[in-house]
Amino acid sequence: MSKAITGKLAAGEGSSRYGNQRRDWRFWLLLAALLGIVAALFAPRIVQTGNVRDALLVVDVTGSMNVRDALIQNAPATRLVAAKRGARDILAGLPCGSRLGLAIFTERRSFLLFEPAEVCANFAAIAGSIDDLDWRMAWEGDSYVARGVHSGLAMAAGLKADLIFMTDGHEAPPLPGGALPDFEGKPGEVAGLLIGIGGADPSPIPKFDQDGRETGFYAEEDVPQENRMGPPPEDAASRAGWNPRNAPWGGEEATGTEHLSSLREEHLRALAAQTGLGFVALGDGRGLLAAVEADTRPRPVEMRVDTAAIPAALALFCLALLFGLGATTSRRPERLPTR
Amino acid sequence: MNAVGAVWEGLTRGWGVDHPAVLALLLLALLPLMATAFRRRGIASAGLVPDDPLSRLVGGGLRVAGVVAIVALVLGLAGLHRREQSVEREGTGAHLVLLLDRSSSMDNSFADAAPTGDQESKSAAAKRLLAQFVARRPHDRIAVAAFSTSPMPVLPLTDHHEVVDAAIDAIDRPGLAFTDVGRGLALAFSYFAEDTDEASRAVLLVSDGAALIDRRVQDMLRDAAARTPVHLYWLFLRSRGAPGIYDVPTSGNDTAQANPERHLHLFLQSLGVPYRAFEATSPQAVAQAITEIDRQETRPIRYVERIPRRDLVRPAFLVAAIAVALLMAAKLAERQLRPAGRGGTKAEGAPATDLRRAA
Repeated sequence: MSKAITGKLAAGEGSSRYGNQRRDWRFWLLLAALLGIVAALFAPRIVQTGNVRDALLVVDVTGSMNVRDALIQNAPATRLVAAKRGARDILAGLPCGSRLGLAIFTERRSFLLFEPAEVCANFAAIAGSIDDLDWRMAWEGDSYVARGVHSGLAMAAGLKADLIFMTDGHEAPPLPGGALPDFEGKPGEVAGLLIGIGGADPSPIPKFDQDGRETGFYAEEDVPQENRMGPPPEDAASRAGWNPRNAPWGGEEATGTEHLSSLREEHLRALAAQTGLGFVALGDGRGLLAAVEADTRPRPVEMRVDTAAIPAALALFCLALLFGLGATTSRRPERLPTR
Repeated sequence: MNAVGAVWEGLTRGWGVDHPAVLALLLLALLPLMATAFRRRGIASAGLVPDDPLSRLVGGGLRVAGVVAIVALVLGLAGLHRREQSVEREGTGAHLVLLLDRSSSMDNSFADAAPTGDQESKSAAAKRLLAQFVARRPHDRIAVAAFSTSPMPVLPLTDHHEVVDAAIDAIDRPGLAFTDVGRGLALAFSYFAEDTDEASRAVLLVSDGAALIDRRVQDMLRDAAARTPVHLYWLFLRSRGAPGIYDVPTSGNDTAQANPERHLHLFLQSLGVPYRAFEATSPQAVAQAITEIDRQETRPIRYVERIPRRDLVRPAFLVAAIAVALLMAAKLAERQLRPAGRGGTKAEGAPATDLRRAA
């Protein structure tokens, strides 16, 4: 109450002469605030370059992606579900203006579903499309991952996008002699990365009947354990039952662990080195997005940035200072008028 | 608690801020209630001051101006905006599933050879004309599915046509081996299983051939057609020399194995849904067929129109500017209390209104 009265008095009974006043600090703070706000009202929008990404996302939908050795929040999930989850994280993490296309991989090539489209406006459609990915979309049982990556690179080059290839690296049938097929493109011409999915320990691969019902797991004799296309390996002569004409790979059935699947990290790293791509194993979302940003090329776009916030923040600071000092300094009047 | 949530929900449905954390600064708005922008002077006795309701009102108003200035500044800094709104409108259009053949024969020209020179492959012609078709139908909700050796869902029903264009752009890439049209159709029907909207629904099948439909898949399709009434269009891109869908072969040879196209046509006719087939042997004929489909699918549809978000940062700053300008005007009219006899006579000069504002 008394404050209001003092204020009233101070103003009402003031000096009669207009220009003869000393301006106090409150006046200057108020003036600064007003100037700041006016500056904010007329602040220009400056053009700044931001970075967006254009990427082609290829997801492996072959049989080995049905292995349940991936983890989502510490619960086991199939590799394909984990891949879809990762793909969604990438979609959500890309800045607006980025473009994402989707393709699937089976057999020996990548098959384009749609070309890169802007991620923010089309978010629901792209997310729905990722959700719909299914192993039933695969058109062949083979899984020549290295060739699939090569064809993905060629496709990405045509789309002027970077490649994000999600796979477990399980080659079926195995590569002859374990050697990578030749890469015809130029390493590093298309940027991007391979995202490895799956656990380190060999796990059985689920088997499905023609109606899509799970019927068990692949056994050793169900899958080719050795690639017998092309010339036999160098050491074939030392195998039991070897005959150069009748049994060039040796006389016995190949044995092995090709019916079990794990993340073939070494193979994927070698493939990444051959093609100039990066490699990351799918972990939690944050590391994934950082890897995607590190390995894909930024495309500079002009963004209009509003500069109004700076003078407005200054004005807010001045006002806060004005009223804050007023509230915290002594509540006593400054000086009693004396004669 | 629920009521509070409901109120909050109501407040934030249409409005939003970009940086909610900045809103913590709203606490600063309490400061003008505790302090003033004016000098404080003590006077000997409060009894000196006559009770003046108008002064009191103006004094309160200036405090409110301080609060308003800070609130407006904080809201502006937080990026206040009216959210993107969607308004339902009535128009003409349909819910449409584009079911596209991605088999490798689509990469050939209508003469069934690798396209040379100025020839256009069937898939390239389909791509060009479908893109035009989609562009002419802005209100449609469109889904895209592809089929070849296996059916592939490409896009769910969406009204963002940019991504539909991106999916149509992908169809002239090299295709796969086979043409499993039956399971492709089953996939197309499944898009409408969860679509409860009363809009006209249509499936546009674009293919250059057909294949035997498994009997079980046939039954499945009959079920699906009975459950979800759709309009079915088959745009048959017929290559030169290929059997047409209307040609009745010589007796004894009229089997589904020998004439899959004709038998697919018969099967689709037997589904009991409105069905039309268009046999196109050239890009021009495809264009005509698509125009005809465009003409047919003009039933009313409720579509969602988006009103883009509106930034309210500048208006917020304008409010702050007006509030601070009021404070400034009051500050300029502030007079110092001086001891009588030193600064001339009291209470003359400044007009009465100014005095009150200054209070």
